[in-house]
Amino acid sequence: MQILRKPLQRAYRKAIKLGSKATIDLIKKKGLSGRGGANFPTGSKWEMVSKEKDSEKYLICNADEGEPGTFKDKFIIEKNPEALIEGILIAAYAIKAKKAFIYLRGEYDYLESKLKKAITKIKNRTGSETPIEIVIGAGAYICGDETAILESIEGKRGQARTKPPFPTVRGLYSKPTVINNVETLANVPLAMLYDDWNKNLRLYSLSGNVTRPGVYELPLGTPLCDLIKLGRPKNPIKAVFFGCFGGCIPHCDIPLHPDAICGKECMLGSCTIIAVDEKQSIVDLVTNIAKFYEFESCGKCTPCREGTYRILNILENISMKNADMKDLDTLKELAEVIKETSFCGLGQTSTNHLLNALKYFRSEFEERVKEKKTRKRTAR
Amino acid sequence: MNIKINNKKIECEEGKTILQVCKDNGINIPTLCYQENLEPEARCRLCIVETKDGKLITSCSSYPKEGMEIKTNSEKVKRARKVNAELLMPEHMDKCFRENKNHDLCRLIHELGIREVRFDPKKKYKVDLGASVIRDDNLCINCGRCVAVCDKIQSTWAIDFAQRAHHEHVTPYSEKNLNDVACIKCGQCIAACPVGAISEREHLQEVLKVLKDKKKHVVVQTAPSIRASLGEEFDLPPGTLVTGKMVAALRRCGFDKVFDTNFGADLTIMEEGSELLKRIKENKGFPMITTCCPAWIKFMEHFYHDLIKNKNMSSCKSPHEMLGSLIKTYYAKKANIPKEDIIVVSIMPCTAKKFESTRPELKSGVDYVLTTRETARLIEHFNIDFKNLSDEDFDPVLGMSTGAAAIFGATGGVMEAALRTAYELATGKELKSVDFKETRGLDGIKTGKVDLDGKKIRFAVANGLKNARELLKEKDKFDFIEIMACPGGCISGGGQPLPYEKEKIKKRIEAIYEEDKRLPLRKSHENPMIKQIYEEFLGKPLSKKSEKLLHTRYFKRSPF
Repeated sequence: MQILRKPLQRAYRKAIKLGSKATIDLIKKKGLSGRGGANFPTGSKWEMVSKEKDSEKYLICNADEGEPGTFKDKFIIEKNPEALIEGILIAAYAIKAKKAFIYLRGEYDYLESKLKKAITKIKNRTGSETPIEIVIGAGAYICGDETAILESIEGKRGQARTKPPFPTVRGLYSKPTVINNVETLANVPLAMLYDDWNKNLRLYSLSGNVTRPGVYELPLGTPLCDLIKLGRPKNPIKAVFFGCFGGCIPHCDIPLHPDAICGKECMLGSCTIIAVDEKQSIVDLVTNIAKFYEFESCGKCTPCREGTYRILNILENISMKNADMKDLDTLKELAEVIKETSFCGLGQTSTNHLLNALKYFRSEFEERVKEKKTRKRTAR
Repeated sequence: MNIKINNKKIECEEGKTILQVCKDNGINIPTLCYQENLEPEARCRLCIVETKDGKLITSCSSYPKEGMEIKTNSEKVKRARKVNAELLMPEHMDKCFRENKNHDLCRLIHELGIREVRFDPKKKYKVDLGASVIRDDNLCINCGRCVAVCDKIQSTWAIDFAQRAHHEHVTPYSEKNLNDVACIKCGQCIAACPVGAISEREHLQEVLKVLKDKKKHVVVQTAPSIRASLGEEFDLPPGTLVTGKMVAALRRCGFDKVFDTNFGADLTIMEEGSELLKRIKENKGFPMITTCCPAWIKFMEHFYHDLIKNKNMSSCKSPHEMLGSLIKTYYAKKANIPKEDIIVVSIMPCTAKKFESTRPELKSGVDYVLTTRETARLIEHFNIDFKNLSDEDFDPVLGMSTGAAAIFGATGGVMEAALRTAYELATGKELKSVDFKETRGLDGIKTGKVDLDGKKIRFAVANGLKNARELLKEKDKFDFIEIMACPGGCISGGGQPLPYEKEKIKKRIEAIYEEDKRLPLRKSHENPMIKQIYEEFLGKPLSKKSEKLLHTRYFKRSPF
């Protein structure tokens, strides 16, 4: 796997030799883009911050991997922490950051010692003096949002900030800040060092009804079928969920590329694939995901705070066979308004799965609703 | 910059939000969480507008860009607003439809045409019964306005959000009651709340009870700022002075005597002015800080213990407490009524006064405190046609006051009144112009200098406790400081008519200064009744008797 190659501090030395501007240019030339989900060009982000005139700048490594079904960052931290730390040091050098933070997901606290060891090792070998602090999250999904990370590190309630100003202008402690994903930063030394580095390779987290779940490194545009085949499912796959926020589609032969998936009103995001086979009920799955959002909403804005609660209520009623057709319309209306008007990414994406499920698997919902009616009739 | 709103070309300045631009151009956008002067939090998602590419954005936190095309009432916008308002409604359904309350949310559902709500009420919180402020979390819509006011204007941090998702609610830390935390009872959260989830602790029922009791002699006193704001509750334009009507109405409610807290204010000035002169003579205890505002007193007891230690605080009670003490001693003796049978009701613009009247160290003469809003309800209870009442005067002796007392209601008023008296007492000369322009206006911190017989007094006035914190950082630069907790002074206190708007408050302040100009006597020490009460009863300012009746002590409280 490309991601497991060991740069052995050569990339850092190369960066020092090149100077910060040339390093940023090199990253831009190599076409490294953000792996957190937005695919924003990494070099451009760095350039924006390096051009800001503030004397203090910060770098944050987003290791708050909270998306259900995503485990690629954990894989990197476990298997190749040295590359990650080297990437952090290079980025910190390129943007002249005063300090770097690793915001580690609360549930990953057992990885802290591993990271610390890697930090000491790499810093000793490179002689870099940029301090790297590991901040352990308190277990909130919302803190994966870049502005919520800032609030969390500052010691405030983990809630998203109003954008603009973007973090690149006013981030941590109101200073320009770069926030990069673990996979992005781990790719930095590899991109700098190796000529055969492929910018299209992505880490796919495959899970669900497959016998071989795990992290697969495949290029963008790989057909979905091929990936599923690698997972060796026992039963035919009915649907695929792109994590919780990415939405779901019936299993089909589309290339795993953001543009193609966007056409299906889904999001590839951080390349999370949850395969669902025919034995599963979509209604139950959707209810389960709704429960997740009802629990993880930060509570800041009305549609997300109240809407996710109401959606869960209705879905539970449907699961309990205690709803009617009108509720399906309410469900759709709520889901759409939450998507349109929520404050941050969490809320805006929290109903993708539901909207798509209602679109592609409406019959399953209707069946549940009808079941109630027939039952009632027999009771009379 | 040129933008299009609802297909109409509009020119707008840079730096204004879309919401402000719409407001300037007469387009009404519903808001709940938005507050003027504070940074938008964009929580309620009701001020959304549609952009050209069909996206919904919040107008309170977005800025227009060149060539932008905005729709404020497309079907998409209407649907989203309706759903979001509906999500906030379940707990309010009954109240809003039945009582048609004058709250933002209730107005909004009528505007949006919501007739039914598809969701059931869910919240089940205990109602927090504070001594002055009552919070009903079940009605709260998490707009965050009270939290923002407590944090950014009063810097008291008594309340904040706790929990997350739909469990999120506003609470003092670790789910304590307001009585058990450093809440200063200023009531600004009541003013900020758009749904009436926070309200004052009512004394209305108790007052109605004592009014019925034939044995009790019920005396009422009215604060300086009430007369400029009470009219608003009866649909009179803001800034209408209703002194005469108010007195007439209170008599019709059955109060035996109607006295004026302004008399107490004049007395406060005599005591406080003399205290200042005494400190100048002894050259210690600077800066001296006024103590008319009970919310500020509590704030100081929580956060500024060194002011107690260094004896910076004036020892004067607040005006209505002074008058309360006098009613129960001087007036009781004069009218030959046993002290126990006299009930004193204060009508105040303030919720902190309710707490103040329960302080044990004051041995308070005041039994009940009504806010302006409660007073309006009281008058309505007796079916009095307030608008068409003819003017009446306060009852004699404790009802006579000067212009100096009238301006107590506005920020800087106490300072101005004190300076008028202190100047003449110290120099023995007559003041050429009684207007101290430096103390007036709505600025957060105002400073100035005055020459008192060779001693230069540097004075400062702060309103809003965040400003007070700023001012106290450099308190050594000043000799005399006035602090009022509410921004703008008592005129925008926590008990005043809702909703609060800056324009209204400016009008009320103008009215108060108008009252000052109208009165023949404008300096406290010229009040003949004050002279009389010192001759007959108190002796002289700071005498033993006045120390006992009119002065108080302060205690340290925990800052948490």
